[in-house]
Amino acid sequence: MDSRLTIAGREIAGLRAEKTILLAIGIQLFIAMFSSFLVVGLVSMYDPGALDGAQIEVAAAGDAVDELERAAAEVPGASVTPYDDANAARSAFERNAADAVVVTTRTESGRVSTAVTAPDATVETTVIVVQLRELLRTYELNERDARASFLEESPLPLPDRSDTSPYFTFTYTVLIPLLVFLPVFISGSLVVDSITEELDQGTMELLRVAPVTLADIVDGKAAAAIGIAPGQALLWLLLLEANGTSVANVGPILALMTALTTLVVAVAVGIAAVAPDRQAAQLLYSVAVLVLFGGATAMAGGPANAVARLAIDSADATTGVLVVAYAAIAAAAYLGVRRVVAVEGFGR
Amino acid sequence: MTDRLRRVGRRLAVGVRRVLRVARWESARASGGVDRRTLAAGVALLLVAGGVVGVGVATGVAGLDVDQDVYRVGVDGESPYTDAIEEAPSLRPVSARSASLGDSADAVVVTVVRPGAGDDGSIDAADVEEVVVRASDTRKGEAAAASVREAVAAHNERLMRAEPNQTAAFPVVVTLRYVGRTTGVDDGATLGGSGGGSTDGPDGGGGGSDGPDGTGDGGDGTGDGGSGESSTGDGSATDGLGSADGSTESDDDGFAVPSIGGGAFGASTVGSPGSITPPFPFTSLLLAFAFLVPMNFLIQAYGSSILDERTNRRGEPLLVTPLSPAEIVAGKTLPYAAAAAVVTSLIALVVGGGPLSVVAVAPVAATFLGATFVGAMFARSFKELTFVTVGVSVLLTTYAFVPAIFTNVTPVALVSPLTLVVFDLQGEAVSTGEVLFSTAPMGLGAALLFGLGLGVYREEDMFSQKPVTRKFLDALAVRLSPIPARRGIGGGLLDRDRLRALGSVALLTACTLPFVFVAELLAVAVLFALPVTVSIPVLLVTIAFIEEVAKSVGLYAGFERGVFGRIGGDPAGDGGATGDGHGALRVALAVGIASGTGFFLAEKATAVVQAVGLTDLFIGRAAFADVAGLSGLPPLALAALFFAPLVLHAVTTSVASVGASRGRTAYALALTLATLGHAAYNVGVVGLG
Repeated sequence: MDSRLTIAGREIAGLRAEKTILLAIGIQLFIAMFSSFLVVGLVSMYDPGALDGAQIEVAAAGDAVDELERAAAEVPGASVTPYDDANAARSAFERNAADAVVVTTRTESGRVSTAVTAPDATVETTVIVVQLRELLRTYELNERDARASFLEESPLPLPDRSDTSPYFTFTYTVLIPLLVFLPVFISGSLVVDSITEELDQGTMELLRVAPVTLADIVDGKAAAAIGIAPGQALLWLLLLEANGTSVANVGPILALMTALTTLVVAVAVGIAAVAPDRQAAQLLYSVAVLVLFGGATAMAGGPANAVARLAIDSADATTGVLVVAYAAIAAAAYLGVRRVVAVEGFGR
Repeated sequence: MTDRLRRVGRRLAVGVRRVLRVARWESARASGGVDRRTLAAGVALLLVAGGVVGVGVATGVAGLDVDQDVYRVGVDGESPYTDAIEEAPSLRPVSARSASLGDSADAVVVTVVRPGAGDDGSIDAADVEEVVVRASDTRKGEAAAASVREAVAAHNERLMRAEPNQTAAFPVVVTLRYVGRTTGVDDGATLGGSGGGSTDGPDGGGGGSDGPDGTGDGGDGTGDGGSGESSTGDGSATDGLGSADGSTESDDDGFAVPSIGGGAFGASTVGSPGSITPPFPFTSLLLAFAFLVPMNFLIQAYGSSILDERTNRRGEPLLVTPLSPAEIVAGKTLPYAAAAAVVTSLIALVVGGGPLSVVAVAPVAATFLGATFVGAMFARSFKELTFVTVGVSVLLTTYAFVPAIFTNVTPVALVSPLTLVVFDLQGEAVSTGEVLFSTAPMGLGAALLFGLGLGVYREEDMFSQKPVTRKFLDALAVRLSPIPARRGIGGGLLDRDRLRALGSVALLTACTLPFVFVAELLAVAVLFALPVTVSIPVLLVTIAFIEEVAKSVGLYAGFERGVFGRIGGDPAGDGGATGDGHGALRVALAVGIASGTGFFLAEKATAVVQAVGLTDLFIGRAAFADVAGLSGLPPLALAALFFAPLVLHAVTTSVASVGASRGRTAYALALTLATLGHAAYNVGVVGLG
């Protein structure tokens, strides 16, 4: 037991000396920052409600101006000003008195044809188009209601609008799983590097001369890699908590991510044992992890979804079973790989 | 003359042959490293995963719904809303009777049924008089309620699509057109020709005729939904339609009017209100991302190969051959660059990109390789290299990808060559100037990165274990030469050696410009989403800091490595100017001024920026203040304005240089001081303009 701790301690000391762990945390922070920036940027473009007081002014003309005005009353963030004809509406648009022009015409087929003009190539265009869509959809609903008798199946009445933050779902379903799983990949990569480096530099031979078994060496290296993972995840969760995002079930989340780290480390040890050098090992490891996580995420109840449901507090019995199952798989995989390596040695 | 030419040609041929020999050796080695077994294992893994996922998708078990079942919604079994809730992946229906709000359910759907309905046992939509979603009083409850509303809307949309009477189901037909305003106060914000083909229409038409033209179109468009497309007439609309690459699933089965999604600016879209998509090139962006994915694998192999040379002094035999380090590195890089080119071309073929895509990705690939080379030269171990590689991947991917998101929105997007790929995939025309603006800085940056790494491709740095920061300073200091002390009293200021030494300082600083450029543009790209009142001041200080660091870090390296003499420190070891504090101070000032001048000259050389009209953007004007139009000023003032930056750079860098010559703490303090001074100047310039 002692020798394993010594090996684990040496691993961690190496990481500290190179300050790589700081770099790792820096990279994770950068990823988190940028994915948030991306989403905040995109959401504020797509959900103008998120922008404070984004209000568009629509110049309307044509047959159905009244109905359009009624629809605008239901949509927050859009107001309609009627104009006598299309030319007047258009000149208002040209004068910057309106953000968009809507000209409606009732056709013989019974439809309402709507010609919409939006400004070209400015940052606001997206916001304007999104608001216009909201306005026109409301208008469509009203028109559809008026023709409900012609429909075979009437649409379901919509519940009232409610205020919600567009970032809420993103935070729990993307950001938290991302932050929880980044340390997992890093730990696996560390193990691959650590083992291939020892083999490459011949220090593994030295280690073998010492009174430790191969299983001890694997244990020590795995312990160091697995040990540093939950701490990083906890750091992120605490940071989110401090930021006002409450995360439920922190214990089960950490248990799940530790299980996954063990699984990935087992894969990493196995790959490092069979691959001829670091280059091949890292390549195989990347592919394997990609496959493992890509496949698992695509399955119903994949690890990312499990973490999201735990964090948002929508977990049920199946999620609990899932965590236990992952832990069992991870333990089995690790013990299997450890046994094979102890018997076969690192094959080069 | 011919003799000379022949000699140069022969030397060149020898160089090329040497590079090719190293390249052949490297590719043999690399393909030996990743042996057949590894390759087979990787392919097998991918096939298995692909098969499993494919079967999963085919049977409906799998789906990339990360938000599956995150909200629990209570709904009655007989309620017509059950279907809507069940169809939404993010909602999980629970029985309304057993659900308690906030505990086992986040929202409950409560329907008010018309009296008398439901006697026959089932309730359908027509019987529902009113519906209320009661949600727990948390952010989660609010989000759940919003999801319920979305789910019901989506359910209705599906229902209506199956309706036989499409006129009643979709009573509104929308024709959406984008038109540039020809007049108006914020004309400056409609960004010249750089927005791509879309703005060409109104521009080409000439100012006066546009207004009435547009109105005529509108009249046509209202007549029958279809003519909106043809009436735009100036080609840009049809372009846009042609490139609308099916990003919305074909949701118009049986629908009379085609609904067009994913169109670029300038495209007319016709369809029901629900089919309007905001101008966002989602699919093209996703495809552009496909170009970046293989880079990550490539640099892993490349980084390993470079670091392999450095472990166990494996690269030493190669170093003692007549091959120069540049030839070795070029040879070792060539196979990977070729692999990148092949993969990029293949991807371009698959996703339907043209040669422009390949040209645009080339500098990105070069930068990936260059940054990895520098990382592998600096890293001390495989572990460190892993993090360096991940860091490079993340940073470059963001740098390439994030600006491309704003492809159709702002010309700043052209910072990233990936924007060109998006344009290419959209089938939009791109001018040569835009291609240059987009690719040249990154290509130059890649070349400089290789130069930086080559500086430490020598025995004393390759096989030693120094921290990354010290190696970085080494790599910079290699490019400097000591400033000779003045020979006696009459030693001319314009001494040849002296000038050459100062010239190397100026050149080193000038070489940092592409990185300064990249860093500043990244700052602009990040900050432009913020309100202008916040972004401008933050931007000005950030830019000042970036520039000050760029100008002085080489000097700091020079003082640290003893190339220049330190003030008050121990005399420099290898040939540095030693002597009294006075002389050292003079050296510090001289290199400071040289560095500032070098930066100024390089900055003036980047008038290329104007070609794209980046300065039209207000925030761009703040970043590149001194190239903005200053016409209308008297020549003297113009000259003063022209040379003001020179004075500024020389002064601030001298301050930082003197700090650098006194040690780390003094350097940090001086750098802060210089940054503040620079920022104050920037504020003044923006205020002036």
